[in-house]
Amino acid sequence: MRLFTWWLRRALSGAGTLVGVSILIFIAVRAMPGGFAETILGPFATEEQRAELAERYGLDQSVLVQYWNWFTAALSGDFGTSMVSQQPVGAELASRFPVTAQLTVMAILAAAFIGVPLGVLAAVRAGGPGAGGRGAVVGRLAGGLGVSLPEFVLGSIVVYLFSRYALGLSVGGYVPLGDDPVGNLRAMLLPAAVLSVFAISATARTTRDAVLNVLVEPYVTAAVARGETPWAVIRQHILRNAAPPVLVLLTTVSAYLLGGAIIVEYLFNLPGVGSYVVHAVGRRDYAVVQAGVLLAAALFIVLNVVVDLVVGLIDPRLGVTTAGRRT
Amino acid sequence: MKRLDWLSRCGLICLMVLVAAAVAGWFGLAGDPAAIDGDRLRPPGAAAWLGTDDLGRSLLPRLLEGIGATLLLSSLAVLVTAVVSTALGIVAGYVGGAVNEAVLRLVEVLYAFPSIVLAILVAAVVGPGRPAAMAAIVLVTIPLMTRLVRAAAATVASRDYITSAVVSGVGMPTMLVRHVLPNVGGTIAVQGTYALSIGILVEGGLSFLGLGVQPPQASLGVLIAQGGIYMVAAPWLVIAPGVVLVLAILSINVLGDGLRDRLEPREARSLT
Repeated sequence: MRLFTWWLRRALSGAGTLVGVSILIFIAVRAMPGGFAETILGPFATEEQRAELAERYGLDQSVLVQYWNWFTAALSGDFGTSMVSQQPVGAELASRFPVTAQLTVMAILAAAFIGVPLGVLAAVRAGGPGAGGRGAVVGRLAGGLGVSLPEFVLGSIVVYLFSRYALGLSVGGYVPLGDDPVGNLRAMLLPAAVLSVFAISATARTTRDAVLNVLVEPYVTAAVARGETPWAVIRQHILRNAAPPVLVLLTTVSAYLLGGAIIVEYLFNLPGVGSYVVHAVGRRDYAVVQAGVLLAAALFIVLNVVVDLVVGLIDPRLGVTTAGRRT
Repeated sequence: MKRLDWLSRCGLICLMVLVAAAVAGWFGLAGDPAAIDGDRLRPPGAAAWLGTDDLGRSLLPRLLEGIGATLLLSSLAVLVTAVVSTALGIVAGYVGGAVNEAVLRLVEVLYAFPSIVLAILVAAVVGPGRPAAMAAIVLVTIPLMTRLVRAAAATVASRDYITSAVVSGVGMPTMLVRHVLPNVGGTIAVQGTYALSIGILVEGGLSFLGLGVQPPQASLGVLIAQGGIYMVAAPWLVIAPGVVLVLAILSINVLGDGLRDRLEPREARSLT
């Protein structure tokens, strides 16, 4: 019960943040230098064009009413029409979203299944002989390099290597997952690999720190003394107690991945939400930018609330110690 | 006082070499970045150490110009972040109550945007260019720094020396500047260092998408984006700025780790 109220408070605060985010996005676009109408129509618009635009976007109404109309419509999936193609933005986003989601999910899976074991391994090794020696420095450098290698650098090099030399995978040639699963995976493997390098390194790093913190706990020593197998100790005592910080990090990482996916989509020419939004900025298509940015922020907020629920289930102590965990 | 470990010192030296290179480029020691010497896409060699680009400009002076632009832009932006975050964080952490709540809400909203997404929004509103890149770096780095400075200030606020200062009748401004600020200085230095590497990443990403620094101005992101077009014919155009960018971020991060170990007490660390 206590856990439920704690989580409900987190969910409500998430909803509050979402409203704040939407206000910020709305104000940002309306407060553009030169004004909204000027920016859309250019300096030489006639009175009729201005009147038509004002009517179409409800500019003659008060700002509060405008905001309310936009936000409620967005909540129901209506993001307005693209100012360039005159197509509904919501439908376009919905058709492109699976690509971005697939990329991000592939990278998160890589982080969970490669990053977490690497981190555990690093932590267990750090306690043994040779700790703090050459191996530790190499590990620190490799981990540091992983989080310092931006997608646009790594991606450019991957694109070069795979287009210059025949390495088995080709760049581009995206097909939807439903049409041709094998072809889709072949096209998505390289972008997902580029995207996941940061996630894997960051996860490995945090897992290592979290496990190191758990390793010194008396209950681990007690479990080892009872003669439990190393695997049982890792699974039942270490992973469970090291999980909360790693899960919290995974939300931060997924926010990062949503951003990184934009760059990877742009680089590999994938038809995802990111490339749509980037091209929309160039065309000054503000309806699309507004919708895309709101979608990314909303996803991140929802993810945060969900992870808080999961963390609360794993570690019920949080429900008692109340808020303040993320401050 | 512990000295920085050798890895962090390597980072610091590497960073100073990059700054020196940028200054050398600024004084034209490597030649004029805009000069066209004829041959396009010439591989690295004696005439142009790092080769030439698609317009026949030598890459080396362009690269130095780019390093300077990226470092200057990011440092200025991080300076702004440091001032704003410190002011917000110290006041929120020390005063607490409604002020604290308001600052936390504001920061929470900014934190909800993935960094590149926030940068794209800024570029859409301000228009692509150097001001957009700077504003984006400031907005992206403010949330984390404000949070951590606030947390450090809140810890400091409960210390005995603060209580004794209150009892001696020290006023709020003096309290914040003389007693709270120096005690969160370590956090500010460490987070400022990390913010610098985030700033370089944001500038690079935004410029790579064509929404940050605009050519013919150079920055590391611009060079990588421009070089990417000729990647197959002239890989050096991406590799050189790419290596420099990674080196800059890596050395700043390593330096930040070293500073953190030295300046921040272990219990004050968070896992973010």
